[in-house]
Amino acid sequence: MTAEVTAATTVSAAPLLEVADIDVVLGHGWRGNHVLSGVNMKVWPGEIVGLVGETGSGKTTLARAVVGLARPRGGRVLFDGTEISRLRGAARRRERRSGHIQLVFQDPLRSLDPDLTVGDIVGEGLKIRGGLPAAEIRARVDDALAKVGLSGTLSHRQPGQISGGQRQRVSIARALAADPKLLLCDEPVSALDASNRNYILRLLAGLRDSLGLPIVIISHDLSSLAGIADRVVVLYRGRIVEDGPVAQVFTRPRHPYTALLMASAPRVERRIGTGEGAALSVHQLRRTTADPESPSAAGACVFAARCPFAADACAVQPALEPVAGQAGERWSAACHRHQEWPDLASARPAAAPR
Amino acid sequence: MAGQPPPETGAVRPETVLAIEDLRVTVHDGGATAVRDVSLTVRSGEIVGLVGESGSGKTLTCRAALGVLPRGVAAQGKITFAGEDVTSLSARGWERLHGSHIGAVFQDPASYLNPNLTVGGQVAEVLRVKRGLSRARAHEKAVELLTTVGLRQAGRVFHQIPAELSGGMLQRVMIAIAISCDPELLIADEATTALDVTIQAEIIELVKDLCDQRGLAVLFVSHDLAVIRELCDRVVVFYAGQVVEAGPAAEIIERPRHPYTQALLRVASVGDFRRRELEVIPGQPPHVGDRTTGCRFAARCPSVIEACRAGDIGLTRLGPAHEARCARVDDPAIAEASAAVAAVAPVAANGTRADQELANR
Repeated sequence: MTAEVTAATTVSAAPLLEVADIDVVLGHGWRGNHVLSGVNMKVWPGEIVGLVGETGSGKTTLARAVVGLARPRGGRVLFDGTEISRLRGAARRRERRSGHIQLVFQDPLRSLDPDLTVGDIVGEGLKIRGGLPAAEIRARVDDALAKVGLSGTLSHRQPGQISGGQRQRVSIARALAADPKLLLCDEPVSALDASNRNYILRLLAGLRDSLGLPIVIISHDLSSLAGIADRVVVLYRGRIVEDGPVAQVFTRPRHPYTALLMASAPRVERRIGTGEGAALSVHQLRRTTADPESPSAAGACVFAARCPFAADACAVQPALEPVAGQAGERWSAACHRHQEWPDLASARPAAAPR
Repeated sequence: MAGQPPPETGAVRPETVLAIEDLRVTVHDGGATAVRDVSLTVRSGEIVGLVGESGSGKTLTCRAALGVLPRGVAAQGKITFAGEDVTSLSARGWERLHGSHIGAVFQDPASYLNPNLTVGGQVAEVLRVKRGLSRARAHEKAVELLTTVGLRQAGRVFHQIPAELSGGMLQRVMIAIAISCDPELLIADEATTALDVTIQAEIIELVKDLCDQRGLAVLFVSHDLAVIRELCDRVVVFYAGQVVEAGPAAEIIERPRHPYTQALLRVASVGDFRRRELEVIPGQPPHVGDRTTGCRFAARCPSVIEACRAGDIGLTRLGPAHEARCARVDDPAIAEASAAVAAVAPVAANGTRADQELANR
C-alpha cells in the first residue's frame, strides 16, 4: 500500500444509519439542557466516520441516542430503513437483541465488569440473546477475540490482569461477537499511547476493509482519526458545524471551528498543512476577547461567541448547507461566512501579541 | 523556616534548579527495580520533557523528585533541588518545599481540588498557609493569579466550586495554585492529556509564557511526542525504566539516534489526517522486574545484533547535550534510519508480522 490511500467513497444509494433532526434535552422544563439540536448525520456502508468535538459537545449523547440509551425529544433514527427510534415494547427488544448496532463504551477499565473473565464478557451478549448452545458461544468468543488479535488463552483472565490496549480490544471483541452491522466506538484510543493507538486504529480499519463494517469513531482528539477515517463530522455545542470527506475537511476546513481544531492539534512535523485552512495558526483563529466558556446568544450561531469572524448575520444560527460546487462530495458546513473567513484569517497576525 | 515567607522576586536563582543523579526506584518493597540509572537536570527558564510509554518510569521519576513516592517504593541516588541535597529529606522538609518552591500539576485536576470549597478559596488558602498573607490580601492575590493563568472574569470564577468549571478551567486553577508562591520548579505530569486540543494548545502556551516571564523551570511529562515537540527545549526519552536518549528537542525530533526514539516518532501524530497505513511498535516493553541482560529494547528493535544482548549498555555522548543508550549508536545503518524518520512518511509497515507478534503477547 502506498502512503496515501484515496478515500474509496462509493456513492452507494442508501445510508445504513440516518439520524434526522435529532433533539436531545437532558433535564425537564425550562431547566432542560439542550445537548443536541437538530442533528443530522448519515453513515454509509463500509465507511469510517470520525465524530469529533470537545468535551460536552454531545458526541457521546449522539451515540447513546442512536442505540436508544438517550431518548430524543424530537427527530428520528433510521437504521437499515427502519425507524428504530419509534420502536416500543417487544419490537424494540427484538431490535436491541439482534445486536445490529454495537456501542463500544469509553474507558474499558470502568465499562468492563472486573469480576468477569474476558471470555464471559465477550460472550455475555450472546448468552442473553439466547438460542445458542454453549459450544457455539465459545467458538464465537474465540472468533471475536481472534478478530481483534487476542489469543483464546486470554479468555480466562480478568480485565484487571491485562494491559490497557488489550482491554480496549476486549471491548471491541465484545461488540464484534454480536455480529454487528454498525459499530460505534466512544473514544477508543484516548487513553492509549501512540503505538497502541495505532494498533487499535489499524484494527478498526481492518474491520472496515475485511468485513465492510461501517464504524463511527467518537473522539475529542483528531489524532484518533489519523490515517483511517473516510469522513469527519464536527460537533460544537450540540450542533454539527461541518461534515465531509476527511481529506477535504482537514486541508480546507470551511468552518472556523474545524480550522481551530486543526491548528490546535500538536504535531511532530511543523509544516505539514497544505491547504489554506490547515496552514493557519491558532492565533489567526482565536477571538482574543472572547471567553471560550461563554455560550453564544440564544438563536445565534453556536460558535459566534468564540469566533473572530462573527458578523451581524451570525446572530441567526446558520443551516448545515452543502459547500458550493462540492455537492457530489457530501461536504457541508454551517457557517454564514464560509467564503470570507479564510481570507480574513490569513490577514490576521500568525503569532501571539507580546 | 516554615514561617519565613519566600522572597517576592529578584532573588538570584541558581542555574540548575533540579538535578537527578543515578536515580534508582524500587517497587514492591525493593522486590523489583522500576527506574534505573536516571540522571537529568532542569535549569531555570527551561522546559524539559519526559516521554515514553505508560509504565516506562516517567511518573515514578517525577514523584521521586517531588518526594511523594507511595508506600513500598524507595528511591536511591541523589536528588538536588536548588543546590540543596533533598535525597533523604524528612516529611517536614518536603512540606517546606512543596507549594513554596516546587509546584505540581497532574492529569486529573478535579481529584486534587476539594469539591465543596470555592476554587478561589483553595488558591487563597495556599497563599495564607505558605506565604502568611492576610485573608483580604490572599483573596486579592488569588484573583490576580486566576487572571494570570488566563481565566476570564476571575472575580466570578473565584466564588465557583469545581463542579461549575470545565476540565480546562480546573487545570488552570491547578496551575494557579502551583505557581501561587512563585516556585522555582513546576512538575507537570500528563497535565494536558485529558484536555480538549484547543484547551491543550492554550495550556501549552501558558506554560511557555510562565517559563519565559518568571524563569520557571519545568519538568513536563507526556506520552505524546507531539506535545513534547510543541513545548519543550530538551527531551528525555524513557524506555522500561531507563533513559535511552536525551538531548535538545529539535535535534531529537530531527535526528533521533536510538531505535526506540525513531520508533516513537514513526507512530506519533504527524499532523496529517489523510488515509494511510499506520505503524505500530511490535511487541511489549519488559515488565517491571523482568531480568534482561543488555539493551532492554532489544526484543522489539529492528536493528538488534548479538552485541546488544551481551551486557549493559551505557549512554554514548553524541553532542554537547545529546546522548543515547545504544550499542550500535555509531553504526551508519542506525544513523540512516534516523534520516529516514526525519524524511517523514509513515511507510507501509509489514503489518501481518507486527500484528502477529502483538497478538501473541
